[in-house]
Amino acid sequence: MRAEELLKLGSGDTEYKYEYSPELLETFENAHQGNDYWVTLNADEFTSLCPITKQPDFGTLIINYIPNVKMVESKSLKLYLFSFINNGEFHEDAVNKIGKDLVALMEPKYLEVVGLFYPRGNVSIHPRFFYAREEETYQEIKRHRFLNANLNPQRVN
Amino acid sequence: MKVMKIQKGTRVELSSNELLFLAHSGQPYRGSVFVAFESVGESFDMLDFKRYLTSLRSLTLNAEDIAFEIHSRINASIQTKELGVTVELSARGGITQRLSYGAAFEVRKRANIFQVG
Repeated sequence: MRAEELLKLGSGDTEYKYEYSPELLETFENAHQGNDYWVTLNADEFTSLCPITKQPDFGTLIINYIPNVKMVESKSLKLYLFSFINNGEFHEDAVNKIGKDLVALMEPKYLEVVGLFYPRGNVSIHPRFFYAREEETYQEIKRHRFLNANLNPQRVN
Repeated sequence: MKVMKIQKGTRVELSSNELLFLAHSGQPYRGSVFVAFESVGESFDMLDFKRYLTSLRSLTLNAEDIAFEIHSRINASIQTKELGVTVELSARGGITQRLSYGAAFEVRKRANIFQVG
């Protein structure tokens, strides 16, 4: 079975957690492991708190990855991202924490997380997390995307 | 929200893309809120309004009641003329909701939340 360990999707009894809960993340098996392909996940409703002032922060997260064996199940990702709601995180820390959690969960061939946070004090912060496996193919992707990041700064409409 | 004295007859319009409150299921609702009124000599401090909107993050209610909730709070805090509140919520299950309470007005949206480009 590709998805026998999924507990959240289709459960009909969803429990929302309001403190950081990486254990919510679940995976299913990639059925196309012989073929490298991109998966993009867009999360427009990410919110956390400023760790100092406790004022709410909002942003869009974009997760791009090349799957290996495991793929993150999107409902569990939604619940995991919601669990940051009362967490004090600098934007840069949130993006890196999410990237590391997803790498630990999936062991993907390549993964990046982009955070497009709403402006505070007229300044918006867009941190980027990059990860690649050791094979040259994926390291080359990482180098290319790292070196070319933000050449055309992203806008959120 | 503390009363702030302003010129009578001033048209005041406020909006925020950072509305968040909780459904009875526990799932957060996200959306934008738009407020408009004509002053009868009173308004309120923006910091108070921001704090009020932030307090909604832990409030549980039906989506249909959010415009009334905000309208009631403003109405209880200051005197206004033609007070209207509209809330546009992000899609849930592929469905978006737009809720309004009070006086009708034209909602004006910024093209870009980052105000660039």
